[in-house]
Amino acid sequence: MVFSSLYFLFAYLPIVLLIYYLTPLKWRNLVLLAFNLIFYGWGEPKYILIMFASIAIDYTHGMLVARCQEKGDDRGARRAVASSVIFNLGLLFFFKYWDFIAKSLAAVGLGFMPVLGIRLPIGISFYTFQTMSYTIDVYRRDARCQRNIVTFGTFVTLFPQLIAGPIIKYKDLDDQLEHRTHSPEQFAAGVQIFVVGLAKKVLLANNLGMLWDAYKAMPTEQLTVVGAWLGVLAFSLQLYFDFSGYSDMAVGLGRMLGFEFSPNFNYPYISKSVTEFWRRWHISLGSWFREYLYIPLGGNRVSRPRLLLNLLIVWAATGIWHGASWNFLLWGLYFGVLLVLEKFLLLRRLEKLPAVLQHIYALFLVLVSWAIFAVEDFGHLGQYLAAMFGGAQGGLADGAFGYYFRSYLPTLLVSCAASLPLGARLWGKLAEKPKQILLPVLLLAGLVFSTAYLVDATYNPFLYFRF
Amino acid sequence: MDKRYGIFLSGAFCAFLGVFLVAGAVTPDKTFSPLENRNLQQLPAPSVKTVLSGQFMSDFETYVTDQFPGRDSWMDLKARTERAVGKEENDGVYFCTKDTLISRFDPPDAATVSKNLGYVDQFAAKAGVPVYFSLIPGAAEIWSDRLPAGAPNASQKAILDQAAASIQNARMYSTYDALEAHKGEDIYYRTDHHWTSLGAYYGYTALMDALDMEPVPLTDYQKTTRSTEFYGTIYSSSGVRWVAPDTIDTYVPDTGITVTSYTYDSKGVPVEEARKLYDTSFLTVKDKYSMFLGGNQPLAVVRTSHTDAPKLLIVRDSYTDSLVPFLTAHFSEIHLVDPRYYKLSVADYIRKNGIDEALVLYSVPNFTSDKNLVWLTK
Repeated sequence: MVFSSLYFLFAYLPIVLLIYYLTPLKWRNLVLLAFNLIFYGWGEPKYILIMFASIAIDYTHGMLVARCQEKGDDRGARRAVASSVIFNLGLLFFFKYWDFIAKSLAAVGLGFMPVLGIRLPIGISFYTFQTMSYTIDVYRRDARCQRNIVTFGTFVTLFPQLIAGPIIKYKDLDDQLEHRTHSPEQFAAGVQIFVVGLAKKVLLANNLGMLWDAYKAMPTEQLTVVGAWLGVLAFSLQLYFDFSGYSDMAVGLGRMLGFEFSPNFNYPYISKSVTEFWRRWHISLGSWFREYLYIPLGGNRVSRPRLLLNLLIVWAATGIWHGASWNFLLWGLYFGVLLVLEKFLLLRRLEKLPAVLQHIYALFLVLVSWAIFAVEDFGHLGQYLAAMFGGAQGGLADGAFGYYFRSYLPTLLVSCAASLPLGARLWGKLAEKPKQILLPVLLLAGLVFSTAYLVDATYNPFLYFRF
Repeated sequence: MDKRYGIFLSGAFCAFLGVFLVAGAVTPDKTFSPLENRNLQQLPAPSVKTVLSGQFMSDFETYVTDQFPGRDSWMDLKARTERAVGKEENDGVYFCTKDTLISRFDPPDAATVSKNLGYVDQFAAKAGVPVYFSLIPGAAEIWSDRLPAGAPNASQKAILDQAAASIQNARMYSTYDALEAHKGEDIYYRTDHHWTSLGAYYGYTALMDALDMEPVPLTDYQKTTRSTEFYGTIYSSSGVRWVAPDTIDTYVPDTGITVTSYTYDSKGVPVEEARKLYDTSFLTVKDKYSMFLGGNQPLAVVRTSHTDAPKLLIVRDSYTDSLVPFLTAHFSEIHLVDPRYYKLSVADYIRKNGIDEALVLYSVPNFTSDKNLVWLTK
């Protein structure tokens, strides 16, 4: 199930909220667990079994780690952690990477792995990471072992952030799973965030997506230089509003149910360097890789060659996490190289430049990265990048560019403005009274227009099927 | 935020969701949307099988969208919003000058086009009678000057040229030239994908030319306006509700003409059904173009009073419905075959029914996407 759909908004959500709040406090996790499973099984009922397996196996491993530690058996505890990591990575590997590896090997003449045609279980990259961090944290004594399987199952399957993040660590949610508070103020704050997220996804991202799709599908002989940039700009904004919109909806839904999730995006496009961009983009993923991969590899307290290797590993993993395809690996390594360059050479020099040049520098590199991200086929990618850098077969611009530019200019301007903290800053300056009057009006407008666009849902993709 | 305001905001949000949930649940479901000319999804009943396969879920999603309270008004709001934010198309339909809606013509699948051309040629080779062939360009081609500046629009002329170059056995003639010469007239509907009776008349003159026959001058006919309230298929698919309706005219009187439709009932028994050249009962419903011959049918025979005139067979799409009236002056029988529904051998049919000449006539958008022309080779 996805949030940006009529059946979610006008059937699933009101029913969940109604039953959830009619249920006494101590049964709410059970109710939530049941609804989580419906949410997950909606798109592919068979894969509910993965959920059951994940709950049972990670629950058992958490208990094993805790029991070994009680007995002072560190080796046993380590073994249990290793076993949990192997299970989760195995799950991810099998469902997400098996076919990719099989096909890649077959392409170089090593076709010993059969291509199984596996349909990727939605959200698997998110929840395997979440459950993996649980056992690790129990071992590190950063998290308590959860002995109630319903509570634990609620964590594993929690529908607001199940399929598209943010990636939440058990230790951050532990208290809330058992004693969360519910208040109208919190619910209303959730509504606010949710509607903003919905509008970002339905009104901005979906529209920008149509512009990008036009350029992505365009035969290379028709591509123009400015057209190629327009296309990649549209994709950059689409992905941001789609992904951050989804995260906002998750945070908002969480609050409606009494949970507090940390925000996942912090205006990434105002960054002045690639390093800063990654502190502002998909924050929960960056923090996960830092905590569970980069630091265990030795962090930055290692020799310089080792540090370079560690960074390369982390960014190759980050890249391939985004999808089982070579372009994602390339995309991750592209950032890995840029971050290394910034760390050792560029950052100090960049800081001396005027701010506007720093912004241009960062945006330029990020835009190029999105071309690598969005175009999977290397041949096509090469032609697209060539078009961006002057080698367009269709020349500098053409009539179609004029058409698209004209048609999408208002959407692009609104989207660019909405990717800046400008709106939030202006909102903050408003007095309490006008705010209270304006807020319901804006929220209603967001809901009404989003509904209209969903009723006429000709274009409403879910971008994270690859994640 | 204080508590009372929080309750107000939360309540308002839940009320918004709840109103449509309840309204959707209590309003009776519609079975058919005349506006969109399609059946609407009904509430699916879950079963173990449909839930496990996911069929129930996808039907339920369609159900919620199809039966959403105020569906048409929401579509209207969306289309108006799109226009307000500077868009010049909605759901694949361009907002054109002269109050016209035109569907975008995307580059067709090259393999389908060359396959379909091949089927026509094979049919011409085995039909046993002269086979004429023409493609009718759509409004996106002839009225391309009405499109928004620079709007992406694939060339239909290129398809015509490709057909002219590859067809060996059929006698190709150009409908394009006749329409292009009259592009300033109302030859297409502004809200529908078909040509008007006037457009069909020019198509008819091109065919008469190819057949070496003399077309009846348009001035010999009296124009009859059948409807001034016609909103066609593009109006439906565009969501655009701000254009003026079209007018449906006819020229040829239907006296002395009988139309018989041949089909099969649900048990496979052949059924004959009397139809009319102009079935005016359709003028009271949304789908007014079906006034011509009563809409889609696998096989129809139009019989005229010119019993000594030749017999013509047309393999066709719905553009031919409004062309047929003009042909009644020249043929004793006109047999209409639609391969979307007629799956028997057309060559056999020609032999058994003493057909003198055959015509394959399609609009470019239909011809380039049709998957049924393969039946012609039977």
